[in-house]
Amino acid sequence: MHARSLTLIVPVLLLSLLVGCAPAAPAPAVEPTQPIEQPPAAEPDPTTAPQPEAPEANLTAGCVDTYAEGVDYFPEKTALEYASGFTVEYFGNYKVVTVTRPWSGSAQTFQYVLVQCGTPAPDDFEDALTVEVPASSFVSMSTTYLPMLEDLGRLDALVAVDNGIYVYNPAVRERLAAGEIAEVGRDADVNVEAVLDLDPSLIMASSLGFDTDAHPVLLAAGLPVVVNGDYVEPTALGRAEWVKFIALFYNEEARAAEVFGEIAGQYNEAAALAAGVEQRPTVFANTPFDDVWYMPGGDSYTAHMFADAGADYLWADDTSAPTLFLDFETVFDTAKDAEIWLNPFAYDLEGLATTDERFREFAAFQSGQVYAYNARETELGGNDFFESGAARPHIVLMDLIKIFHPDLLPDHELFYYRQLQ
Amino acid sequence: MSEMHETALHERPNTPGPPRMNLRPLALALMLAVLVALFAITLSIGSVTIPLRDIGLILAGGEPARATWSQIVLLFRLPKAITALLAGASLAVAGLEMQTLFRNPLADPFVLGVSSGASLGVALVVLTAGSTLSGAVLVSGLSLLADLGVVAAASLGAALVMALVMLAARRVKTMTLLILGLMFGYATNAAVSILLHFSISERIQAYIAWTFGSFGSTTWQELRVFAPVLLLALLVAQVMVKPLNALLLGESYARSMGLNVARARFWLLASTAILSGVVTAFCGPIGFIGVAVPHMARAVFRTSDHRVLIPAVTLLGSITALLADFVAGVPGSQIVLPLNAITALIGAPVVVWVILNRKGIKETFA
Repeated sequence: MHARSLTLIVPVLLLSLLVGCAPAAPAPAVEPTQPIEQPPAAEPDPTTAPQPEAPEANLTAGCVDTYAEGVDYFPEKTALEYASGFTVEYFGNYKVVTVTRPWSGSAQTFQYVLVQCGTPAPDDFEDALTVEVPASSFVSMSTTYLPMLEDLGRLDALVAVDNGIYVYNPAVRERLAAGEIAEVGRDADVNVEAVLDLDPSLIMASSLGFDTDAHPVLLAAGLPVVVNGDYVEPTALGRAEWVKFIALFYNEEARAAEVFGEIAGQYNEAAALAAGVEQRPTVFANTPFDDVWYMPGGDSYTAHMFADAGADYLWADDTSAPTLFLDFETVFDTAKDAEIWLNPFAYDLEGLATTDERFREFAAFQSGQVYAYNARETELGGNDFFESGAARPHIVLMDLIKIFHPDLLPDHELFYYRQLQ
Repeated sequence: MSEMHETALHERPNTPGPPRMNLRPLALALMLAVLVALFAITLSIGSVTIPLRDIGLILAGGEPARATWSQIVLLFRLPKAITALLAGASLAVAGLEMQTLFRNPLADPFVLGVSSGASLGVALVVLTAGSTLSGAVLVSGLSLLADLGVVAAASLGAALVMALVMLAARRVKTMTLLILGLMFGYATNAAVSILLHFSISERIQAYIAWTFGSFGSTTWQELRVFAPVLLLALLVAQVMVKPLNALLLGESYARSMGLNVARARFWLLASTAILSGVVTAFCGPIGFIGVAVPHMARAVFRTSDHRVLIPAVTLLGSITALLADFVAGVPGSQIVLPLNAITALIGAPVVVWVILNRKGIKETFA
């Protein structure tokens, strides 16, 4: 890049990279108005037709034939334990879902009215986006939704992703190669015409609250886009619990509860094991980009996972920012004798040393205790840790416990992580 | 032409005050002292403050009060300070050469497009290593560059552009070369944009971090190549003092004075390309030092005589680079700022001053 134009571009790009470090300016309020076509209200004739009975389970397929007022069409409801970024309220034949924290520091919230197919939409919610449930076709603007869709058994609903190169899921990759799943581009560069052509019943996207987000562009085109804020959850289980969010759109509350219950149970079991350890190994993370070492802050998602897995993270006390911008020298001074090095940007020890020969001075390097989460990666760069890691925190935790205290989990084999050779 | 006449041509007329000639060596000596002091300060003060006495001990091979201090100084601060010293001097001298050759006060070491070539090399390595682009058969062959380190790729890119420039220099006039260099720059920037467009966030972040510039990523091993090459090129610049003075009067006039303009151009271009190319390859593209320092030197010494300017710019370039690095390290805290931002904060006011002070420009470059 030309040096002069750099100094204009550099601050702008730096800003856009500081995700979560500074509260994002709230996006101008885009209030979607999306009334769906109301199905003709079926008027039950009390004299000739029998009253429809209340369903015993949520309708995961098909629509209601005859609507009856006062019937609870959602006997299986969602209860949240860890996630704090969304709420759901149930009313007879519709659910009101509010995403209270779509991105870090957001002043804006998003409200969605999920109406049971075959029943009339409520009158009061003109400002909210209305979606008929169970939804059919799904456009995913983030790979993190794919494992959750799979867990709910609704991966068949997927018709498009934003960018095929990031996908790890083999089934999805196969369908991508066969042309059954489309690619619509990411962020504000999303190909709106392609999405319109697909006529999806639901698009799900994560946003940063910046101009580069996809959802304003899609909303402006009148498309049913739902903003998902799972990545903002500060805890691992909080993030994983968003499987219940996706389940709401497919009436799969029961299945979601089952899936998440299992995950939470295993996570807490593993965490309890690690909580009882006496010795905690010293740990540091990442690799520097030139002279700047981006170290997770003490209050970050990563730091909490390290603590839960029974490690002594060397920057656990620095909670000044989600990511700390340290210089190499500082990290060296603190972490030179640390026992374990996690998440370097490398595939093998020699490669690491080629990047900077000073890495050889670290005790963790010398003892080979360096672990990266690139065990599951495609040649195109799709990494399963980024795709399913958030949905399966119990496996991530077990991987970390296996690294920090191998004797606690003798039967577990590293899944996302691998030791650098 | 007599030396006196030559000197007179480069002096600013009607400047008040004592005869400048005698003060110059003193000023240069003062600059040297400032440089040494600054060097010592950067060794001592960083995120951790190490007393000067221990610095001396460490440099002499002894044991300081804390064991890690030795490693911090020898592995991090000393190579960084040496890199800054050499890079600052190189960029400033290269900038001076370009400003004189093109007789353009805003020329910088990168007008030849050399650093853009280096950027393209780095982009090809960082953004494509280990992966092919989405559905792009045409770039699959480029992943062979993945095995090269960043420095090697940057050097290759810089060298390629340099070769193109040298080839063109034989055929075209100097002014045309300036435009060619800019066009090479735009073309490579376009290629980098395409690569960035297809890349995943981590790789983009790695590339952007490189563009911030840094003196701290050059290790002793790399200095073994970095230092000798730059010192050699700086020596060439030193020898070019007379041709530079002649060129300032205009190429036809210089030719009439007996200068082999084509040969002078060759050596100037070669030394600039090496100075800027090598610095960019190891430290990333570092802006403003090359364009601002020559003007600072001209202002302080009130002359365009390269016999004074070359050493002045060398010292001042080193001082500026060390200062920028010191500020970027935000002494006393653990955080660090991008180097290019700090050099811009120092350099931009100087460039503004240049543009506003057109009287001085006319005299120097007309």
